[in-house]
Amino acid sequence: MKAILTDITKCIGCSECVVACKAYHELQEDIPRHWHRNDGLSAYNWTAIIHKEGPHYIRKQCRHCLEPACVSACPVAALVTTDEGAVIYKPEKCIGCRYCMVACPYGIPRYDWEHAVPYIQKCNLCHDRISQGKQPACTEACPTQATIFGERDELLAEAHRRITAEPGKYIDHVFGEFEVGGTSVLYISDIDLGFLTYPVKSGDKVLPKTTAPAMSAVPPAFFGMGAVMGGLYWFCKRRERLQNEKKNEEADS
Amino acid sequence: MNRLSVTKSILWFITGLAVTFGAARMFFGLGAVSNLSDATPWGIWKGINVVPGIALAAGGFVVTAIIYVMRHHEYHRYAKVSVLLAFLGYITAATALVVELGLPWMVWHPIVYWQHHSALFEISWCVILYLTVLFLEFIPTPMEETSRFAGIRRFLIKYKIVLVFLGIMISTLHQSSLGTLFLITPEKLHPLWYSSLLPVLFFISAIAIGPLMLIVGVLTISTLYNKPLEMDKLSKLAVISMIVLIVYALIRWIDLAATAKLAIAFTGSWQTLVFWAENSLLLFIPIILLAIPSVRRTRTGLWTATGSAVIGMVLNRANMAGIMFVATGKAYTPTMYEIVISLGILSAAILAFLFCIERFNIWDVKWSSDEERPEASPRFGHASDVWLGTPRIAGRMVYSLVFVFSLAVGLAILPVNRIQSAGVSDVPAAKARGGATLFIDGNRDGYGVVFAHDDHAKRLGGDSACVQCHHSNVPMDKQSGCHECHRNMYVNADVFRHDWHAAPAGGNLTCNACHQADRQRTAETAVACDHCHKDMVPTGATITLEQYLAPSYANALHGMCIACHQEQARVLAEKPDLGRCASCHTLDDVPMYLPDDVITAYRDTMYNHVVLPQSNSQTDGN
Repeated sequence: MKAILTDITKCIGCSECVVACKAYHELQEDIPRHWHRNDGLSAYNWTAIIHKEGPHYIRKQCRHCLEPACVSACPVAALVTTDEGAVIYKPEKCIGCRYCMVACPYGIPRYDWEHAVPYIQKCNLCHDRISQGKQPACTEACPTQATIFGERDELLAEAHRRITAEPGKYIDHVFGEFEVGGTSVLYISDIDLGFLTYPVKSGDKVLPKTTAPAMSAVPPAFFGMGAVMGGLYWFCKRRERLQNEKKNEEADS
Repeated sequence: MNRLSVTKSILWFITGLAVTFGAARMFFGLGAVSNLSDATPWGIWKGINVVPGIALAAGGFVVTAIIYVMRHHEYHRYAKVSVLLAFLGYITAATALVVELGLPWMVWHPIVYWQHHSALFEISWCVILYLTVLFLEFIPTPMEETSRFAGIRRFLIKYKIVLVFLGIMISTLHQSSLGTLFLITPEKLHPLWYSSLLPVLFFISAIAIGPLMLIVGVLTISTLYNKPLEMDKLSKLAVISMIVLIVYALIRWIDLAATAKLAIAFTGSWQTLVFWAENSLLLFIPIILLAIPSVRRTRTGLWTATGSAVIGMVLNRANMAGIMFVATGKAYTPTMYEIVISLGILSAAILAFLFCIERFNIWDVKWSSDEERPEASPRFGHASDVWLGTPRIAGRMVYSLVFVFSLAVGLAILPVNRIQSAGVSDVPAAKARGGATLFIDGNRDGYGVVFAHDDHAKRLGGDSACVQCHHSNVPMDKQSGCHECHRNMYVNADVFRHDWHAAPAGGNLTCNACHQADRQRTAETAVACDHCHKDMVPTGATITLEQYLAPSYANALHGMCIACHQEQARVLAEKPDLGRCASCHTLDDVPMYLPDDVITAYRDTMYNHVVLPQSNSQTDGN
């Protein structure tokens, strides 16, 4: 499992990662549109730097959840988790229902509202690069090693090492270690990063598990309903027959 | 014009408008006509047509269950209508999906690419299967008069009970799975609507609304065609619905109380007002009205109760599918075009419904000859009749005219600006402020770049260096600011004013002064500006004037600065980072000559600036 660790205290906000991402994925120029959410991400911006008082710079990108809501939501398996931990998008399968956008707890997937043939757009952890053993374009471009790439276990250990090495410098929490079941994009920070998700927090709740009970109840519900209706049908039919017989008897007598 | 003709004309008009707007959506993308956004990816097409369409079509399985499974043959007369309503309901939802899906021609993909964890995958399958079932249930009706398919018809009627069973079983699944859809959004859906019981609530409310929708259909037929109503049977059906509605209300309110959400309903926010409106329309009004026998046996009483419940149901589903996605921090209001498309799909469905009941043996309004049609009644007296031909043509002619007229109206009010701008708002670029040190903030949002103008000029070689950046001037001008040609912040600006030059448009030049006589007159074949305006391009300027489109302000300044900076980064060993974004976009303090409000705005946006300078929407992520 590969991962990215971003250390907010080291980021200088130079936006080199954003530039590298746009250049590598050949994303078109980004202009303010009425359909944007004001967080810097868009169909043509897969990562963005958010400025915060301090100054602090927080790089926003797809979190590549270990148990992604988008993957469980997609009706045609156009979003899949790879062995490397990247959540990638297969445009040839997509039908454009946008249920992944509804489902994502971080609001990451963006839509290409401008075009008549639109696709979902989001960070894919440079899956083609990491499967060749290279690191993603963004971490490669970072001049201060604020965002680094590696094995998730090692990065988690490194994150905890940094937190314990300099007590008081960081909030004692690795953002993404447990949230929504854990993410592959981890943060350590001296400010709270709760704003990266919605005001109502999912916490450590694994989102695919919210729909799993209902989905596993589908086959029993189908046959259960069939059985109930069958019973009802038998009962009502019998009652009807008995009534008819009674009527006939009365008519005969 | 009688009641029927007026209704049909209005429906045709809305349908025509929707066809034009729908075509615009297909050709120019979702962003051109809708206010759907990255924050609310689902809007009223899902919220008014797809999700409620399926719920309102529940009559198909509820009423057939009452008639064929529970053997209440006294309602047999309503079987065909309820199947027709259900069939049309699902077709409505499918049509809306064609507009709503980004790639509607891929809609068959769930059949091939399986993903059984997804509620939407299950719904897709159920809807495809149930549409087939409904088709088989419905098709014997139009076959009635033809003998060629009589065998198929007899077969389908003989094994109808199988179709009824399949219909009930499949409906159970997808009516509840529509609720499952929203289980995955605990952090977005408003707590008054989010509940872990959503699948159950969706299923029960669908059962309740099915018969009520049937009653609305029957009432519509009765009103439009002046047919009597069987009040005792209809009110009995309504009571069944009322009991289910009470069960639904109990589950919903007990669930709210058990999860300690009741207090939220009294906080007075706009969401709670919608919550109370929804509950009144869907639950309180219908339950109270239908509980009173003297009310539910009157036409007005039934109309009010069922109409209110149906509207409440639509509101309930629309809240789930978009309106109550409040946590995304950006409010969604549908555009006029979205609303018209949504209503147009409904209008087309109603027209199809009227068509079916007029042509097929569904209700006692089928016409055996044209003279019986309400639309055929003579309207203009004898003389007009002669001119219009037979009455039958008169009806069709009116609808055709209305439809074509509405297409034209639709074309006239197409969102041309939205289509052309591709979602970019036209932000005029403003002049940079200051003198020796400039504050470049083209869109005046407070986020800008501090540019040491005189330092740059000095470093590049004094007065002779101006032309390295200042590549052209407005005619007769000694020095022009960037914003005078690069007029728009984000889009290219056409800087050539045809009406100031050409004689036919008000100027004083003939066409051939710029265009060549023997070639097609286009911008490419015309002479450049500096052919006449000799002073526009200074001697030695880095850029020549080749076209009439000035790049956007943002692109022009980025292009001018970045090219030079990157070159210098290569040349100067001590400044390797000169080409990076942060060498200009710094957090250095603003020049103090700026007004206080600009300085405040600068400091605010410096910390909060993401990419978008739109002030009308809330920023999240800060």
